[in-house]
Amino acid sequence: MGSRLPPAALSLKQFLQRQKVLGVYRSMLRTIRQVPDEADRKYLRGWAREEFKRNKNATNQDAIRMMITQATNHLEELQKSLLLARS
Amino acid sequence: MAARVLQQCVRSLGRPSLRLCPVNLALRAAVAPAVPVHRPFSSAADSRRTRWLGQSRISSVGLLCRQYGDLPPLTLETIKDRVLYVLKLYDKINPEKLQVTSHFMKDLGLDSLDQVEIIMAMEDEFGFEIPDAEAEKLMTPEEIVQYIADKKDVYE
Repeated sequence: MGSRLPPAALSLKQFLQRQKVLGVYRSMLRTIRQVPDEADRKYLRGWAREEFKRNKNATNQDAIRMMITQATNHLEELQKSLLLARS
Repeated sequence: MAARVLQQCVRSLGRPSLRLCPVNLALRAAVAPAVPVHRPFSSAADSRRTRWLGQSRISSVGLLCRQYGDLPPLTLETIKDRVLYVLKLYDKINPEKLQVTSHFMKDLGLDSLDQVEIIMAMEDEFGFEIPDAEAEKLMTPEEIVQYIADKKDVYE
């Protein structure tokens, strides 16, 4: 009995990775909202969009994992800077 | 010196009250000269200030009022209009092809990153956060309207 799923369906790992990527993108956008200057916000949103879109078609799981880590690091950096700027 | 500035401010406040209660002024003016001249300037200014303040207090009672602020009430129509307006402003959507039932991925050719951006824009527009798990299920403007109406208790 063959699998009933369509051929383009993702495996569980790929599905979870996709969810993680979207989660990081969402957190990034939420953090960028807190930046005080409007021009900075626009620039950062454009930058985040470019970075994520550029690697949209990657298929190698390890590469994707590395990129997720990189994005999380950028996110934490941004959050720390915002915290410092606010204090 | 600060007393003098304050006095001038209060005087300008109390000026409209002059026309309203001239009787009071005459009374107060009669009382004022009773203040001895050798008193220090600050206390004379104080007494004059309280005279003006007294007058303005009496006349402006009618002007004091509380003001509350609130947003206009939400209806399904207004939610739909706002959702479509925000979507039309999004640069990746073609406004002509946008319908209430158009699917973001199948009809409008957007991808999941765009969908995240759209839901973020909706959060900004309506002022409340949409959690990840529910956000990823919203794939048409119709569903977004239904979800917001659910969360905001709007029903018709």
